[in-house]
Amino acid sequence: MKIDSERKGLAINILSLFCFLLLWHALVMMARNDIFNIPFMRLRDIPTPIETWYALLGSMFTKTYGPALTYGIADHTRASLLRVVEGGIIAFIVGVPVGIGVGYSKLLGNILNPIIEIVRNMPPMAWIPLAIFILVAGGSIFIVFIGMVFPIILNTVHGVKSTDSRLIDAAKTLGASESKIVTLVVIPSAFPSIMTGLRIGLGVGWMAIVAAEMVIRSPVGLGYFIWNMGDLGRYAEMVAGMIVIGVIGYVMNISILVLQKRFIRWVD
Amino acid sequence: MGRLVLKKVSRKFNGFLATENMDFEVADGEFVCLLGPSGCGKTTILRIAAGLISPDEGEIFLDGKKIVGVNKECGVVFQEYALFPWRTTKGNIMFGPEVKGMPKEECERISRHYIDLVGLAGFEKLYPHELSGGMKQRVGIARAYANNPKLLLMDEPFGALDAQTRNIMQAELLRIWEKEHVSVLFVTHSVDEAVYLADRIVVMTARPGTVKEIFEVDLPRPRVRTSPEANVIRDRVLRSLGTEIQMAMR
Repeated sequence: MKIDSERKGLAINILSLFCFLLLWHALVMMARNDIFNIPFMRLRDIPTPIETWYALLGSMFTKTYGPALTYGIADHTRASLLRVVEGGIIAFIVGVPVGIGVGYSKLLGNILNPIIEIVRNMPPMAWIPLAIFILVAGGSIFIVFIGMVFPIILNTVHGVKSTDSRLIDAAKTLGASESKIVTLVVIPSAFPSIMTGLRIGLGVGWMAIVAAEMVIRSPVGLGYFIWNMGDLGRYAEMVAGMIVIGVIGYVMNISILVLQKRFIRWVD
Repeated sequence: MGRLVLKKVSRKFNGFLATENMDFEVADGEFVCLLGPSGCGKTTILRIAAGLISPDEGEIFLDGKKIVGVNKECGVVFQEYALFPWRTTKGNIMFGPEVKGMPKEECERISRHYIDLVGLAGFEKLYPHELSGGMKQRVGIARAYANNPKLLLMDEPFGALDAQTRNIMQAELLRIWEKEHVSVLFVTHSVDEAVYLADRIVVMTARPGTVKEIFEVDLPRPRVRTSPEANVIRDRVLRSLGTEIQMAMR
């Protein structure tokens, strides 16, 4: 029964995706043949799914045109992912200890909360000018860091604060010192929340890097790629890049969920 | 060793007195049940004895030593088990020896001993969410014992269990207690449970809770729950408690 309904669900998923592509294709083709158009929108310039697919294949790998070298989507993806990973590692190293401190110590909470509350409400995009004009080097990694660090901090704080007080009592009566309580009770108990923070952070970081690459104009990166392709009027490549961005974001989210399931077996 | 003495212990909560002038003791190796209407501060007394909270007035001694701060010579068994969900059965039982910095082999040996004692052999590698309520509480008891306490503090440990499991666990607890001979202070609101388990029953008054009456349960173990002698004691305890429950309801 269960497998049947799961199969049915998957079938509907695939069908829905197919219908979406069909609708996309139909809209573009109707606009091109002057059958139907939405006023003020140049639907005819949108590439069809098939054109996008060929553009994706064609621009996947690095090519040289005479003396000029054109990076492929693979290189752009690698560059963007590398920035997210670098910014993410720094955000994790900073965010988790800060979150534990703020969640566990009232004093530290009182000291850091006002700063966190103001700064976290500045969107990562608002930091782009600062990154460009002041930081210059590593600007895009910094934007990723800003995007990722706050979801990690907030979720870590939440995890630490929702540690069952009876577990802390139990640990105390079993002779655990303050530091053992943090390492053996608070951190394991907050671990699922920390992973959730990492997952949400990765989503934000991925959005931030695409925006940052457009503005910062790093010579390589998916954000730069789609902007540049749009600039050149190569819309099929631009849309192909957008789809790659979406798929990668989805894969990152799913991978963390899978890791979470595998490593946190103790949650019911 | 393991003699707990409470001297005129009082404790306020949010401005009102939870418990007042509690005066009683648990002799070495004795099994004492603390019985009272809900809200009379039974759990408060237990938490004070564990050193998790301090009394506003009065003093509390374990083997003549005043308890200040967390009492690391007692083991606590909680009602909702309070097991570490990320640790297996064995990991939970080893927690105490581990944080004390005992060598690995010693931790293993201790956990082995208590796993066998409480009848958890074969369940070592399971996580708490994979265990039944009765099994979880066996882990809770083993974890408390593994810390080699002088005194076991139990806060309605079988309250969340169904009646059948509860009876089995009571008998199991007595079997373990007779082997290890640690003093026990056991909080309950069930007269039946108290009469089945205790050497002495301390009945508390309604809030602010204090000692109303102490009953000796001088019946040989294993006890028959429905024996005439048990019924006589149950009646006396119920009558003593009954007026307090009415007070608490008012």
